[in-house]
Amino acid sequence: MTTRREGVVMTASRAVLLVAGLVAVSAAAIRRPAPPSSAGGTPAPELTNASWLNADRPLRLSELRGRVVLLNFWVFTCGNCTRTVPSLVAYDRQYRERGLTIIGIHTPEFPPYAGEHDKGNLVRALLRQGIAYPNAQDNDRRTWDAYGIRYWPSFVLIDKRGMIRYTGYGEFHLNDGDFREWDRRIRQLLAE
Amino acid sequence: MRRIALLLLATATACQSHPPLVALQPGPPLRLVAASGVRINARLKPALELDGGTVLHFDSPHLTPDSAYFAAAPTAAPPVSGRRHGTLRLSVCPSGEKICLLVVMAVAW
Repeated sequence: MTTRREGVVMTASRAVLLVAGLVAVSAAAIRRPAPPSSAGGTPAPELTNASWLNADRPLRLSELRGRVVLLNFWVFTCGNCTRTVPSLVAYDRQYRERGLTIIGIHTPEFPPYAGEHDKGNLVRALLRQGIAYPNAQDNDRRTWDAYGIRYWPSFVLIDKRGMIRYTGYGEFHLNDGDFREWDRRIRQLLAE
Repeated sequence: MRRIALLLLATATACQSHPPLVALQPGPPLRLVAASGVRINARLKPALELDGGTVLHFDSPHLTPDSAYFAAAPTAAPPVSGRRHGTLRLSVCPSGEKICLLVVMAVAW
């Protein structure tokens, strides 16, 4: 889909005595991902994560055929992610029994020294946020890369046949426009 | 020198097409200044990784009310000796996009 991350290497002369490092990525460079090219979607890459929370064994998409799956790529150090969690908890409560499985893909931003890789820290974050749906530790970014994710938070909605039907990213809140749009998409796929 | 020149050229090209999200000012202390509309994630302290595995963390006591972002430029004391270069790693959140993204860049001061 897309490249994994963006970054620009730079250096500067000390003689300039001014800016040492500049740059990065421009907000102008951020683009919404295009919707899947075909109405039928594209096959969702299988999940291969080994470490899970709120699940008694590693989940695989192949075992979830017949259910709609919403993947949420997030990390507990990202405010945009944690502010979106109440909306996901609401979807989980409303639609789990009707066939929706929400899966958090917890993908650290920093190396292990920042604590994001630590399972205990993730457990505490799930409790703090009231998250009851399954979460995979994506410490090696395997799933992040497989889906071509670039931003926190990101979302991938997969239909009952295992096809990616909708993707997107960005914080949203209970009952705002984006919340209603994702809600509409979930209901659409549940009805198929 | 040639390598530095190439890197500067690459930077100049990048700067022409994209306004910078953040600048590292040499100080001391080293200071991270975000562009307008760009917030630096305070729950993931920006890190300057030096040769030998040393990691310097930027911090500031001034945070937004939800403690998610720095309200003032975070600073870090530069190393007292050694080479003046490293890898800067930080999480930035452009306010209009409602996302966070990772920025990793080589810096010298």
